[in-house]
Amino acid sequence: MRSTYRVLAMLVALGVVLQAAFIAFAWFTVINDVDSGALTFTGEDDQYNAGHMLHSIGGMLIPALSLALLVVSFFAKIPGGIKWAAIVFGVAVLQVVLGVTAFELPAVGLLHGMNALALAVVADLAGRRVGHAGTTTATARTRTPA
Amino acid sequence: MAGRGHWRLLAASAATLALVVPLGWLWWASLVPDTYSVMEMGVVDLGGGPATTGHDAHDGRDVSTLTGPRGGSPDVEVTLVARADAIDLGEGSAVGGYTLNGTSPGPELRLTRGDLVEVRLVNESVPDGVTLHWHGVDVPNAEDGVAGVTQNAVMVGERHVYRWVAEDAGTYWYHSHQVSHEQVRRGLFGTVVVQPRSATGGELDMVAAIHTYDGRRTVNGRVGESWREAAPGSPVRVRVVNTDNAPLHTWVAGTPYRVVAVDGYDLNRPTEVEDTSVLLTAGGRVDLEFTVPSDGTAVRVGTGVADTSLVVGPQGATPASTAEPEAELDLLDYGSPAPLGFTLDDVDRRFEYRIGRSPGFLDGMPGLWWTVNGEMFPDVPMYVVREGDLVVMTIRNDSGDVHPMHLHGHHAVVVSRDGEPATGSPLWVDSLNVADGETYEIAFVADNPGIWMDHCHNLPHATEGLLAHLMYEGVTTPYEVGGEVENSPE
Repeated sequence: MRSTYRVLAMLVALGVVLQAAFIAFAWFTVINDVDSGALTFTGEDDQYNAGHMLHSIGGMLIPALSLALLVVSFFAKIPGGIKWAAIVFGVAVLQVVLGVTAFELPAVGLLHGMNALALAVVADLAGRRVGHAGTTTATARTRTPA
Repeated sequence: MAGRGHWRLLAASAATLALVVPLGWLWWASLVPDTYSVMEMGVVDLGGGPATTGHDAHDGRDVSTLTGPRGGSPDVEVTLVARADAIDLGEGSAVGGYTLNGTSPGPELRLTRGDLVEVRLVNESVPDGVTLHWHGVDVPNAEDGVAGVTQNAVMVGERHVYRWVAEDAGTYWYHSHQVSHEQVRRGLFGTVVVQPRSATGGELDMVAAIHTYDGRRTVNGRVGESWREAAPGSPVRVRVVNTDNAPLHTWVAGTPYRVVAVDGYDLNRPTEVEDTSVLLTAGGRVDLEFTVPSDGTAVRVGTGVADTSLVVGPQGATPASTAEPEAELDLLDYGSPAPLGFTLDDVDRRFEYRIGRSPGFLDGMPGLWWTVNGEMFPDVPMYVVREGDLVVMTIRNDSGDVHPMHLHGHHAVVVSRDGEPATGSPLWVDSLNVADGETYEIAFVADNPGIWMDHCHNLPHATEGLLAHLMYEGVTTPYEVGGEVENSPE
């Protein structure tokens, strides 16, 4: 459970890094296509853009990972684990809400970008809880037989 | 110790269920059966009118009986053969897609008002099946060509006959309404022109169908500059048809022009404009009238992109600039008012069509989906009307994106936008551009019984749940979405 917790937290943090990479890839693709005349903004939602597609998949995967992290935290007995998993989950939900809102109010996209960094940081901090927990349980285990 | 561990496990399990069960329920509730009738999907909305009486099929009318004239010899008879084919776009470029009689756009149907038309649709090789919907022509319901609602998709090797009377002069188009988000984009469409009985003398009359194939914008299926020869001083009517999924700007450069018709309806006393563009929504049409300049120059009709346009003028002439005008014509105060044939004092039903966007599950898929009146597909409205009702519909868009809203089988007049009444010529539309943040009030008379789609003509949006149906009480359909023929209208 502990290592699952740690892996999930790391995956969330890694996911955020990938999301940043995908969205940059997506928009450089758009700019390049517009410059070369291959893209004319005709509302073809299904015009293929790998970056956008990956970002929207990531946008579903990261909240799912955060939810899994929260569920695992209930069972993992990591000191502060539930609290940090809940923070990660909350920040991930906020990230989705900001992303959704930004379609209507593009300026909210600024917050979506900044909150992404916050998500990576809290996911990393959550992952580090396992390290602390590891030492405390090790001590606890040595004490049990006595 | 064991007791505490036990309680902890229980609490953890309870917390897990509290998180997972609501999500699972939302997912499960969003699932749509493989086969369903549009009559059973959605939320009944009576719009303040009386409730439906006698809903069972026995005293109702079946859409398959609401046909055009079955007898009588047609004035115009056409066979359209649909194929999966390569489309030649000119300038050495070609793209894979679908054709009708070997071309995309398919043949232009040029009719005279009052003609009885018979179109035989043959599907030679389009794997998903095809239909033909007569966009903007208010045909009887059985001829409307919506797979799973008014007919079954015409599968490979099958045929279907459409018969209808061209009752109103104007510019229209036709396209497949089976897997339409893919088939229209890839070429399964054509144009329809209905000329008045008393043809205007000597006017050069041409269609400019604007379509984007694989990212390349075309006029009548051709990339680049399309030329039409016309002598100096000759009067011209260009019927611009937007067959794409997004609105575009069109305009006439090099001479003043008038917008003489929108969506097949003539405008009342349109005035001349210059250096001004017109917003043409997806699925919409505008007829632009102008005179070729007498100084020997040519006129350019813009399509919104610099390298594709229609040039009209004498051979070898220098065409006008490709630059898009900055000014945009507002059709709500263009031309002069005229009687509508009804007043809005006596409205029978009032409907709301509020478009939003929200995260959730659509048929089990998580994502960001459109909502109608706050609900996601399949919980979209079924607007119930009785024949003869005067209907006012308020369309409000808070979804962050523009939506070209298309009502089948009817034309509606624009009453107001954002609370400001329309002051120009009556603007009768079948395709209305509703930008983000806008609210339109439209009015129409329910005079064409049937079950009609009322959806976004950015066709991928319709697949994402942006659709509703207008249903006449007592009308039923034997067709189903899904089913053995895999009807999939969007």
